[in-house]
Amino acid sequence: MVVRKRSFIKTFLFWFFIALVVIFVSYPFAYMVSVSFRYDSDAFDPGLIPENPTLSQYAQLLGLQESIRQQMSEEEQQLMGLLESLPEEQREQVLQNIQSSRRRESFPFLRWFGNSLLLAGLSALTSLIIGIFGAYSFSRVWYPGRTFVQRGVLLVYLVGGVILSVPLYDLFVRIGLTNSGGTSMFALYIIYIIQTLPVSMYMLGNYFRTIPESIEEAALIDGSTRIGTIMKIIIPLSMPAIITVFIYAFMIGWNEYLFASIFIRPYPGAYTLPVGLREIFFSEHAVWAKMMAASVLTAVPVIVLFMTVEKYLTAGLTAGGVKE
Amino acid sequence: MQRFRELSPLKKKEATFGWKLVSPAVILIGLFIMYPVLYNIYLSFFEVSLTPGVPNKFVGFQNYRELLTDPTFWNSFGITMLFVLITVVGSILVGLGVALLMNKEFPGRGIVRALILFPYVAPVISTVFAWQYVLMPLNGPLTILLSNLGIMDVTKDLVNDPNNAFLVVSFYSIWKNFPFIYLMILSRLQSISQDYYEAADIDGANGWQKFRHITLPELYYVIGSLVLLRGIWNFYKFEEVYLLSKEARTLPIYLYEKAFTGLPELGVAAAIATVLFVVMMVLISIYVRKVLKW
Repeated sequence: MVVRKRSFIKTFLFWFFIALVVIFVSYPFAYMVSVSFRYDSDAFDPGLIPENPTLSQYAQLLGLQESIRQQMSEEEQQLMGLLESLPEEQREQVLQNIQSSRRRESFPFLRWFGNSLLLAGLSALTSLIIGIFGAYSFSRVWYPGRTFVQRGVLLVYLVGGVILSVPLYDLFVRIGLTNSGGTSMFALYIIYIIQTLPVSMYMLGNYFRTIPESIEEAALIDGSTRIGTIMKIIIPLSMPAIITVFIYAFMIGWNEYLFASIFIRPYPGAYTLPVGLREIFFSEHAVWAKMMAASVLTAVPVIVLFMTVEKYLTAGLTAGGVKE
Repeated sequence: MQRFRELSPLKKKEATFGWKLVSPAVILIGLFIMYPVLYNIYLSFFEVSLTPGVPNKFVGFQNYRELLTDPTFWNSFGITMLFVLITVVGSILVGLGVALLMNKEFPGRGIVRALILFPYVAPVISTVFAWQYVLMPLNGPLTILLSNLGIMDVTKDLVNDPNNAFLVVSFYSIWKNFPFIYLMILSRLQSISQDYYEAADIDGANGWQKFRHITLPELYYVIGSLVLLRGIWNFYKFEEVYLLSKEARTLPIYLYEKAFTGLPELGVAAAIATVLFVVMMVLISIYVRKVLKW
């Protein structure tokens, strides 16, 4: 009897803690999703289930539906017609007012999404390619100074982004990479590559060492070149690791705010998601429902990517090579 | 170590090939990480000019003197230390607890496991908005819940109160990063041989004794390394702190504001970065010797 009672309490406590963990991790996500399906005016209605659910926030962000603000801007167009008749000076003034209010009210989510996709995607890809060759070099080829290179790559863990922010900014200003949106994005591209390169190399190197060298030797004897074995043997056999590293590097670029805010703040056309969303958040009031819908759309791609490779990701992370 | 010119021709070819493969990575890391670290130290001795054509002015240790006599700097320094302490201890305790829980088989474990990774995987910007929403004064659901429980006043703006903003940020950081700890500890847990536990059962050990004398010693080095990694990362943490609350004034935020907002003082910011770097190096070397015994 005693044993049974005790195990009942144990089971109860076990499920209680599981429930606690589930609530702890999902609490803010639950509200994020819930509010994203509401109208801005209902954003703070109590309860998790929206009373008047709507898809309009998503439709507006994705450009499928004109927002109320854009509809209003048609009235502005009529206003423009009237403006023609105004005297020169007054016309300038009114035009400027309209323009500044437009800039404030626009929410070019798709554009930011595209910028983030381009930057994070390209830099992850480049870092992966450079990383594959680098990791192959120090996990398979012997040369004087190899240990030094390997340690140097690890040492980079001790250098955080903030430490690099001042010198890199100064450096890029000096070589003139900050005077337009395009060149600033290029500066970010380079920065995201170097932020992910050490991780890519470390994770890939660990994985390459698990591939038996005899397979490669056989190919070399059959007349394959070293580059040939990388292309035809190493890369296909390490696909899980390669995909994991790509996604990890992609997430770092997708998340990055520090350097993005330093380099592209003056160029709204080049905003990435974190910079754009934060600017909107501080310039407009009571747009909670739309902010939440934008948050969901920002989170979904990375969450989906991660869940599809969860098994490999866990292995890759615990292999020891990670950086944030 | 063998010198390059003493190698056989075949080995020479091999070595050259190896260097060629790794050179793009080495050049990038050298140019954009190693060089900036040194350049940063150099800049910290200058009054950095932002006008093109006007050279930087050498000021010696003035930036450091200015910094070390600035109460805001010391305040930020203290807050940073507290932040690192709270987040490292907190995320390791939560991560360890959850890993022990998830080490048991139960129906629905797959779903719960996937869910646990969400905070770690979701972008900072999204989760920050979600937390700001639930913690809004007056309307935020968590604010209402906490005030109903009598813990705090419903009008309190937890996130933007300079007195406790760093606590909110610490809580957020634990929530965001414990899954990483949990993953590492779980994978170590699963590699502990069951034989130890069976032997302990025969000796009549209870759950706590098994944890204390088998599990914990097995986890010592994992936890030790995790403390080191999380310590380094949280010391430099910018995004998670700055995006959630402007009032949590840790050193990276102080540096950012000195360098990139208002009237930029890049030289002073470089001095802050140097101090951060040196403190970090000292802490790491002490830790590595005393705790990890390398």
